[in-house]
Amino acid sequence: MNAIALTDVSKSYGEVRAVNGMDLTMEAGRTVALLGPNGAGKSTTINMLLGLIRPTAGRIRVFGRTPDQAVAAGDIGAMLQEGTLIPELTVRELVDFVRRLYPDPLPLDQVLQMADLTSLASRRSDRLSGGQTQRVRFALAIAGSPKLLVLDEPTAAMDVESRRAFWESMRAYAAQGRTVLFATHYLEEADENSDRVIVVARGKVVADGTAAQIKAGAGGSSVEFSLGGQSSAGLDALPGVTGVTILSGTVTLRTADVDATVAALYRKTTLDVRDLRIGGVDLEDAFLALTKSAEA
Amino acid sequence: MLNYVKLEATRMLRNKRYIIFVVAFPVGFYLLYSNLWGNQVDQATGVRASVSLMVSMAAYGALAAAIMSTAVPWSQERQSGWLRQLQITPLPSWMIIVTKMISSLLLVLPALLLVVLAAVLTQHVSLPVGEWAALIPIMWLGTIPFAALGLIIGSLVPPDTAQPLAIIGMFGLALLGGLWFPIDMLPQTMRTIAHALPSYDYASIGWEIVAGHTPPASAVAGILGWAVALCALAIYAYRRATARV
Repeated sequence: MNAIALTDVSKSYGEVRAVNGMDLTMEAGRTVALLGPNGAGKSTTINMLLGLIRPTAGRIRVFGRTPDQAVAAGDIGAMLQEGTLIPELTVRELVDFVRRLYPDPLPLDQVLQMADLTSLASRRSDRLSGGQTQRVRFALAIAGSPKLLVLDEPTAAMDVESRRAFWESMRAYAAQGRTVLFATHYLEEADENSDRVIVVARGKVVADGTAAQIKAGAGGSSVEFSLGGQSSAGLDALPGVTGVTILSGTVTLRTADVDATVAALYRKTTLDVRDLRIGGVDLEDAFLALTKSAEA
Repeated sequence: MLNYVKLEATRMLRNKRYIIFVVAFPVGFYLLYSNLWGNQVDQATGVRASVSLMVSMAAYGALAAAIMSTAVPWSQERQSGWLRQLQITPLPSWMIIVTKMISSLLLVLPALLLVVLAAVLTQHVSLPVGEWAALIPIMWLGTIPFAALGLIIGSLVPPDTAQPLAIIGMFGLALLGGLWFPIDMLPQTMRTIAHALPSYDYASIGWEIVAGHTPPASAVAGILGWAVALCALAIYAYRRATARV
């Protein structure tokens, strides 16, 4: 059974279509990134999945049930974009309260440990830093041991170090056979922490696959070298090349097949190739290309 | 549910505003007033001022506790995202408002009982057992309309507005209900308004009990009417505030 199934789901606010005919299925046990720019419809999709808002049209199922039923059964835990805690209560009190709402929660100590909160357990929530608050919100999301964990831009308020620690916690939770869906507009995060990336733009899925497939779909990798004064003729005809840009003596070739392009560059041209650099096209470029074509 | 009630009670007992308005004020004023006028005796009823003041200040404290433990906290929870956090757990939606009501009733008790305790300890107030047994439960459950009013405020407006509204509501009801001074001292129009308020009915029942009378049917009907109307409105406002669209 799919963990999540959205069939032709739309959500309109007056004239604005926040989500526009979204089709999406997700198997249980995977970690999937919902990647897209601000305003792409990620949060709207997530809020519909959690039953917080109702779709204008279409059908949503979570483990074969409606979102409301899945929430009531304790199948879902989520970390929403905003949210402050009750200031007068301690971390332990908050986490323990939420975990007791679920039918089959994780042990309190384990939740605190997984969210790296053991040493902060007796601190009042109004005395936490931004990053610490996010960790508590993560703890609240996993406390009930939900089968599906949903995270809406969870690292938005974190510094680099907190981010790394956060994703480690997330992976540890996912490793126990859970399904994780997270929204992000950080491309690196999608690449590093998911085994499938769904790119969303303008309320629709515009690409779906592994991070590598997404990159390939948008023009693969790049090969860069110094051309100096040499002629650039014929570079666009090299195997695999999908685009050539030259900027102050440096050539960047976009290629769908980096090995073939590099081999040909040395064997089939007489160019003096210097400072060769091969880059994955970063997901950023792939992402821009994909979301741009959705807008066109 | 118990878990949730405990959470709500814990957080309010740590809230400074609750402690000051709800516990310190009524007890403090009782001590002050009863020291000034405690031994005066009402000619009409023969009740000592230390006793009627006990009812007035307990009524004020209970009313304040009912409104302060509901309006602003609930409004803040809606705005801060805590409500959404609860909505994505298995906690049923109706349980939130029921818990708020039960917690509010619990949080009324310290205000009510501390004033009574202060009266008994400092003014040696003593009432027949039957009067105590009628007074305390009625003054306790009589706060239901005020808690409902607090929930209505919390459901309808953001915290910035809920705060002044709650304070105006609390002092307005206390003042016009005759909890601070007898409403006979007010001009006629305000007296008419006062008679229509739940706080006047609420306190009247208490004053009548300590005077040894059966509470007037009009006051009992008044408070029941207010309770039904405000609870219905609170449920409506709650459903509107938590509607998922």
